[in-house]
Amino acid sequence: MNASTGRHRSLFVVVAIALLSVPLAAHDMWIEPTTFFPQPGEIVSLRLRVGQDLLGDPLLLDPSLVNQFVVKDGDGIRPVVRRDGRDPAGLVRLAAPGVHVIGYRSNPSAIEIPADTFNQYLKEEGLDGVSARRASRNEARAPAREIFSRCAKSLVFSGANADAAGDRQLGFTLELVAERNPYGLRADQDLPVRLVYENRPLSGALVVAINRLNPAEKLSARTAADGRVRFKLRRDGMWLIKAVHMVPAPQGAQAEWASFWASLTFEMRTASAGTN
Amino acid sequence: MARLSRVVLASALICACGAGLLAHELGTTRVAILLNDGKTYDIEVVTDAAALVEKLAASNGEPPVADVRPERLHARLERFDEQFRRRVAVRFDASEVRPTITYAISPGADAAAAPMATIRLTGPVPSSAAHLTWRYAWTFASYAVTIRRAASDSPTTEWLEGGRSSGPVALKAPAPAVDRLATARRYLALGFTHIVPGGLDHVLFVLGIYLLSGRARSVLLQVSAFTMAHSITLGLSMYGLVTVSPRIVEPLIALSIAYVAIENIFLSELKAWRVALVFVFGLLHGMGFAGALKELGLPRSEFVTALLTFNVGVEAGQLAVIGTAFLLVGWYSADRVWYRRRIVVPASMAIACTAVYWTIQRL
Repeated sequence: MNASTGRHRSLFVVVAIALLSVPLAAHDMWIEPTTFFPQPGEIVSLRLRVGQDLLGDPLLLDPSLVNQFVVKDGDGIRPVVRRDGRDPAGLVRLAAPGVHVIGYRSNPSAIEIPADTFNQYLKEEGLDGVSARRASRNEARAPAREIFSRCAKSLVFSGANADAAGDRQLGFTLELVAERNPYGLRADQDLPVRLVYENRPLSGALVVAINRLNPAEKLSARTAADGRVRFKLRRDGMWLIKAVHMVPAPQGAQAEWASFWASLTFEMRTASAGTN
Repeated sequence: MARLSRVVLASALICACGAGLLAHELGTTRVAILLNDGKTYDIEVVTDAAALVEKLAASNGEPPVADVRPERLHARLERFDEQFRRRVAVRFDASEVRPTITYAISPGADAAAAPMATIRLTGPVPSSAAHLTWRYAWTFASYAVTIRRAASDSPTTEWLEGGRSSGPVALKAPAPAVDRLATARRYLALGFTHIVPGGLDHVLFVLGIYLLSGRARSVLLQVSAFTMAHSITLGLSMYGLVTVSPRIVEPLIALSIAYVAIENIFLSELKAWRVALVFVFGLLHGMGFAGALKELGLPRSEFVTALLTFNVGVEAGQLAVIGTAFLLVGWYSADRVWYRRRIVVPASMAIACTAVYWTIQRL
């Protein structure tokens, strides 16, 4: 075993230790297509996955939870062919070449989380403002009732023209928008990503990028005032960029907090260098 | 058809989950637990094969799985057996057991679906175990566990988040809650109706011991001896300490009635040996009561209550017979000179004839 392999192995062990040890509320959710590089006209299966560090379980498509399940490309926006109660959750035929933006937005789900678990989850997701507010209200030892919504996107590239337009905004409550086409990134370029909450840039939020082949080595940054972070994505393979935002729940929600989980998946095939 | 049923099941799971207070995200994992009447357990885990292998590989410090052909997935699952066991727990009471595990890969529910792993965990249930607890920590999603105590049972379903332990599953179906007062009332009534109107042979026996003499002392001594004796054998029989076949007991009960009635014709006052004989006959009748009570069944949790109140009910039935006889004939005519000639002898003859007939019938 060479030094590089040994380091990778130790990193996977780190992942293994963390694996499956945190509560459901703190798990990511993302879209995983059968391929990120379909041929024009190919039918792509779309899986919804819940998990951690890009290790996850497929979800059955719960029709009561679906708010939007769409694909947007140069021809406009249209619904994905849903497979209610099944996995893969949807199918889409990508006729035109270019980047296709797949989006899944869920209705809110309610959950009650014990105090310790909730505090740990706030810390992991960088939700310091919520922690501070709970502490100031002497709620840090109280369980939390939360409604959470998923805002997942995936960028699929069909054809050969990598200079084509990249990501497009879908109008999700919380949304990660790649401001440069990841399929057209050169080795020396970084990927600017903007985090948008209710169509306005969200500042100070923790955004994390995880590579499937090396999930323990996470890239993370807080968004600037314009909602932007920039990542230098060194590695090939599937990437997940994610962010969580939490606000007081609206009146009548029977919960104290409402959270929004944004994710963006795509696959890099040109190895570049450097982290942010 | 199999595909359709899996789709229907998945849809049903989603509907059921959505109906809950907490809406969790439901994955493709499902678990079925079969407890074969508390003798063996058979737990079937069906889950996405590639997702499971990927997690097993990661927890073993290996990179993601690229080859997802069924035979490769199967080989990897078998190789990761020890790894798999670390996050799966089958516990009986406080003791974790080590199941026998087999792995199989099957195609997905339809052409678009991923291959599924079917993992069977089997083994014997420890003899003294009362509860099973299940934990499966190889999924991040929520999943349904269906539990059956026997293959013919309809399943109960528990929803679990990955990594959470199930509630304790009783290996035997819990007995319905029994209310003590309701049990006492029920068995009191059963004891009474076992005499009136259900037990004509016992009625005739009691009438037989009543008719011997109009004196209260005679009735009191005989009834006390009879009650004491039948209470003893009723209790001993119900606890299984005395077992005599009904084929012997029932003719003897009939014969005892005949004897008492015939003796009434020749005897007009109480003798000590009559009390002793009534006691012996009471032992026989107690075994008869026990046979009837066994047919009715006794609630295990309220065994003593049911036994005692049944016996009290029997006693009340006997006293009702004596009270009725006293009101109808004894109260007015027991002191009359013709009482014995017109009441005791003909009635005793009728009882004796009936009892002899029963004796022959029951042989």
